[in-house]
Amino acid sequence: MSDDNMIRILKAGKRYRIGSGEIEVLRDVSLEVKKGEFVSVMGQSGSGKTTLMNLIGMLDSPSGGIISIDGTDITGKSQKELVALRRRTVGFVFQQFHLIPSLTAWENVALPLIFAGKEDIGYVAAALGRVGLSHRSEHKPAELSGGEQQRVAIARAIVMRPKILLADEATGALDAATGSMIISLLRSLAGEMTVIMVTHNSELAKLSDRIVNLKDGNIEEKK
Amino acid sequence: MHLHSLVLKDISRRKTKLLVAVLGVVVAFAAMVAVVTTFSAATDSLYEESNNFGANIIVRPEVKTIPLVAGSTSMGSLFTGENYIEESDIPRIHTIMDSSKLSAVAPRLYGVAELGDSSVVIMGVDPEEERKLKSWWKVQGSWISSENTGQTEVMVGSDIATPLGLTEGSLITLHNGNISMDARVTGVIESTGSNEDAYVILPLSDSQDLLNREGKVSSLEVRALCNECPVEEISMQIEDKFPGLEARSMSQIVRNELAIIEHTRSSAMAVSIITLLVSTLTVASTMLASVNEKFKEIGIMRAVGASDVQVVSMLFFEGAIIGAVGGIIGFAAGTIASTISAPLLVQVPPSPMWSILLPVTGICIFTGMLASILPAKRALGVDPAEVLRSV
Repeated sequence: MSDDNMIRILKAGKRYRIGSGEIEVLRDVSLEVKKGEFVSVMGQSGSGKTTLMNLIGMLDSPSGGIISIDGTDITGKSQKELVALRRRTVGFVFQQFHLIPSLTAWENVALPLIFAGKEDIGYVAAALGRVGLSHRSEHKPAELSGGEQQRVAIARAIVMRPKILLADEATGALDAATGSMIISLLRSLAGEMTVIMVTHNSELAKLSDRIVNLKDGNIEEKK
Repeated sequence: MHLHSLVLKDISRRKTKLLVAVLGVVVAFAAMVAVVTTFSAATDSLYEESNNFGANIIVRPEVKTIPLVAGSTSMGSLFTGENYIEESDIPRIHTIMDSSKLSAVAPRLYGVAELGDSSVVIMGVDPEEERKLKSWWKVQGSWISSENTGQTEVMVGSDIATPLGLTEGSLITLHNGNISMDARVTGVIESTGSNEDAYVILPLSDSQDLLNREGKVSSLEVRALCNECPVEEISMQIEDKFPGLEARSMSQIVRNELAIIEHTRSSAMAVSIITLLVSTLTVASTMLASVNEKFKEIGIMRAVGASDVQVVSMLFFEGAIIGAVGGIIGFAAGTIASTISAPLLVQVPPSPMWSILLPVTGICIFTGMLASILPAKRALGVDPAEVLRSV
């Protein structure tokens, strides 16, 4: 354990109740990710990759164990505290982009600022500039290509200058060339922030600093 | 860009679907406004008509009865108190708290005089005020004038006119002891079935001269009229202002008026409550459908930092907008509907009730927000992790 850890997970587990039974998605998972590190999480479908991302992103709570984000133990925190911590610490990029269709690229990127009650003093323009979409800011998602939509989603994820960027299958809905471009973008963001990327593509995963393999709810480090 | 701008954008995107909710509010509140406006016009009309019933408060000098008893034998009663009201005191009635509700104050002086060989009851009146109370009288000829024409004018009841053969223009002489007064009959009052059929009615000042009661009146007949007019309260105010006088409200008339108003009002209220419920349910169901439709968006918003309070306030704002727009259009539609229907239903042309525009809009906004409670509860149940996983 070192002081420059951004994420520290110790024996975390996650069980879901389904009907009268329970399924264990993650079992005693322990993981440390350094500040600015770029980590890929790989694994078969159902291995618990998305669940792990949701736990790190504070969208879900562990059934057991300890999760610490930027030195703060998040287990046992109230929903309100988690929302506040999530706003300033974590940015999300999803496979399906998850942009709001009625809003322009600019407005979609501004959403986290609106919810945080933070005034936009050039944050949105900077984020769109960072992903190379300043010229498409007034376009709605339907008017953008898949790659552009994902870049808007990345701009939205980084507009609050989070310490952690979580990308769940961010290239899954894109062609190979566009996927590579998105990974390059994520690669360029690593260093400024900790990037954790879930992917099925081992070639793209090789571009990260470290690959974590999840199998049956447990972690196997690859590199 | 602010939170509320997001809602407005969302509303403009889904305007066709939200139109159903707005229409629900419009229909419900248009019905409510139409009912209230129509009933209000009908009530005003009833009041106007009931104005013709005459006075509803009679003010008289207070008379106390003292029983006279000698040992165990009753010797009758002794009546004490003034018999007259000072005419100069009458204007003070307009200083009572509810003076604006007094539509007529008619002084009367009663006495007996001789007309030919007969004794007749004299009633001195203020012609202008009396006419307000007795607008239904049918006079063959004309009313006595309130202006001094140089000759005393009288009206006579039909019970006097017929046996004495009096008609418009007849000249008569009234006697009271040594006092004689020549007068011209200006009109004969057709039978009303009341005491006035046997009265000779003349201007107050002439009756005071004839009866030798200068500056005196026997009673005041008062018409206090308005919606929700507290007639008993006005009677008490008069008694407070005039110690020694008693003011009696003619409770039967008042009760009838109140009963009519209460009936119309409770009918309107029942319809209003039903429409309000229908409206709330319509908005709630549309908004619930809207939340179901926006399940993914709510999940995304929560994932990118929307708090519970923000999600709820966005839905409440949406409900309030639906309510406000529906309320204003509903008011306009209801007013137009009542303008068309009221003359057919209650034979009264209503006027727009601007005074209810703000309360109606307020109720609509409240209704919209009330209808948002269930959708908001549903939205709070959206688990962002689950939504993002499932789409």
